Amino acid sequence: MPDRKTELILGAVLLLLGLLAGAVWVPLDSETPPIYEFRRQTYIGDALLPMLAALGIALCAAVHVAITLLDRGTSDRGGPAFDRHAALFLLSVFALMALSGLVMFWSGPLALALFGPETDPPATYRLMRGTAPWKYLGFSFGGTLLVFGLISLLEGRMRAGRLLIAVLAVAALIAVFDLPFDTLLLPPNGDF
Amino acid sequence: MGVFEYVWAGVLAVFAGPAAFEILGIGVPITVLMTAAGFLLGIIGGATPGLAGPFLMAVSLPILLSVFGFTPDALLPVLGFLVGVMKGATVGGAVPAILFNTPGTPDAMLTTLDGHPMARNGQAGKALRTAHFASVTGDTFSDLVLFTCAPFLAIVVEAYLGFGEKAALILLSLAFVAAVVGASPMKGLIAAFLGLFIASVGTGEDVYSRLSLGTDTLSTGFPLITAVLGVLILGEVLYSFEQMWRNRRDDRPAGEAPQSGDNRLTWGERRRLMPFISVSALIGTGIGALPGIGSTLAATLGYATGQKMHKGPVPFGKGTPEGVAATEAANSSVSGANLIPVLSLGIPGNVGAVFLILAAESIGGFNPGPSVFRFSTAEVNPELVIAFGLFTTMMLANVLNWIVGGHIMRATGVMARIPKPVLMPIVLLLTLTAIYVQETDFTALYFAMGFALLGWGMRKLAVPVLPFVIAFILAGNLEQTVRQAFAASGGDPLFLFKSPLSVVFLLLGLLVILFFLRKPASEGS
Repeated sequence: MPDRKTELILGAVLLLLGLLAGAVWVPLDSETPPIYEFRRQTYIGDALLPMLAALGIALCAAVHVAITLLDRGTSDRGGPAFDRHAALFLLSVFALMALSGLVMFWSGPLALALFGPETDPPATYRLMRGTAPWKYLGFSFGGTLLVFGLISLLEGRMRAGRLLIAVLAVAALIAVFDLPFDTLLLPPNGDF
Repeated sequence: MGVFEYVWAGVLAVFAGPAAFEILGIGVPITVLMTAAGFLLGIIGGATPGLAGPFLMAVSLPILLSVFGFTPDALLPVLGFLVGVMKGATVGGAVPAILFNTPGTPDAMLTTLDGHPMARNGQAGKALRTAHFASVTGDTFSDLVLFTCAPFLAIVVEAYLGFGEKAALILLSLAFVAAVVGASPMKGLIAAFLGLFIASVGTGEDVYSRLSLGTDTLSTGFPLITAVLGVLILGEVLYSFEQMWRNRRDDRPAGEAPQSGDNRLTWGERRRLMPFISVSALIGTGIGALPGIGSTLAATLGYATGQKMHKGPVPFGKGTPEGVAATEAANSSVSGANLIPVLSLGIPGNVGAVFLILAAESIGGFNPGPSVFRFSTAEVNPELVIAFGLFTTMMLANVLNWIVGGHIMRATGVMARIPKPVLMPIVLLLTLTAIYVQETDFTALYFAMGFALLGWGMRKLAVPVLPFVIAFILAGNLEQTVRQAFAASGGDPLFLFKSPLSVVFLLLGLLVILFFLRKPASEGS
């Protein structure tokens, strides 16, 4: 369980966000108000559900803050939920994922531009996205980098055996998703 | 069609449906094949620490949808596969707990208390046989309760509840789930309201998509499967990454003890286990019928009750088969009963049920809820045939479980040796790939990672994710029912309080929240 300070911050932030969403965002970003009249009939508008939900968040957050303030027992619970390590962890994982995503997205088009068949007009990646080996390049490089990078990050060291596992895992996923089905597109081929 | 004709049509839909292939001129029905495949995958996945039934169901669903498409013919094979996974994972979960003292799920924690000491004493085989026998008995009992209760409950709901009462019932269910899941009812409610709020982005009845900020990206809302997989699965993956990253040590399980003891489970021993199994099955079924209360509480209560009943020479916690039986029967009997609120009310009570509803909603042609059980005689109600087909797949999985489940279970011990830091990144790539092949757009992956971040944050802050997911799924249904109730009342602002029954439901919801607010956190969960 998070400590008392985290609980209070959580409650306060949610209270503020709930009020802002319910009082500002929802009314400004919905076509019809919570209740409206049209040709002498009363209807529920599109704003009702999100407004009640946002105000519900605010109300529960307020009660949560009150309970936490009254309950002295929460002060001796574990440390803060978010610390320097959590931030570092998130940064590492998302940086790795972003890099893997970039490699996944651009490997195929780049390889095609460098080593593709010379045709007139030049073959685009969209034309070649269903053809081996081009269609596998992005997923293979990006997927292997993601799996191997994450394993290394979690284990705190790089091992050749883990690279082999990553390659095999990616090959297995290609075998599951691509080989049996003509209609399925591996990432990132659907985007081209 | 009469009742028995509907039941028979459901059975035939499974066994006389389209064939996957032929052996010696006899067709193998695709639904039977998929149920068996799901069951096998479920046992293997359940025996792998870090991979539980919901993980497998989540990852399988987009693949299944891609394979079978979105036609009514896809319903039974897909649902059969998911049912098979659910049941297989239930028995498979005991394997690492017994052999390696590595509980894959919180309820398997209690299986380790007696299962692992038995394995250390050279009786791993007996412990696994006991776990299988108790698990499959409890599961079968729970399914039978489901088959008999769900239709009656649905008929009562459909006959006596109007739009107002149905809206109040959904609110009561949400309040109940929010109050009982997790340590704080207020956090549960916040999660449920957040689910309703996020589900309303890009939806609604007006031409302009509400809360879309005028962007095309948000104007179609968040894809259901992407959001659910993101919060439930990827959030959990991120959370487990962080735990492993902080520990930075191998999660390799302890070695297996040499087996030299008595590993059989005789009929006499099975008979002696039956009182423990029966009581635990009743407890698990009762708890499973209530939405939101997971198998952990059932396992805890089953174990505690078994401990009070036990008078044998080996006490609970020291390696007695009765301890394994009491736990496994209780947690396994939750799964069938958990589908009672799904099929009779359309309200998913646990994560496994969430994926069954997701499958049904994605494919179409089957909307779990009280309207399914309309025994219309003039014309065939196809949803009812599917419902009985689903029951048939459950019984088929049970039969498979009785016949071969134990053998497969005992062969899957090797799965627990896969290190979690190796497995979880592969699960991440598998989930992302499954989402991509469904949506074929990198934007879906950005959404998925956004929801993963939300799921990770919720876990860090001890905000339960299940109320969020259930509210997200039910939001459309709730809004539609409220609109209908409001229109039917002629625009009365007190439309939810006009019927005594809806007032009772709303009061009950309020009472549940107040009750769990009053209780200390640990007891409440």
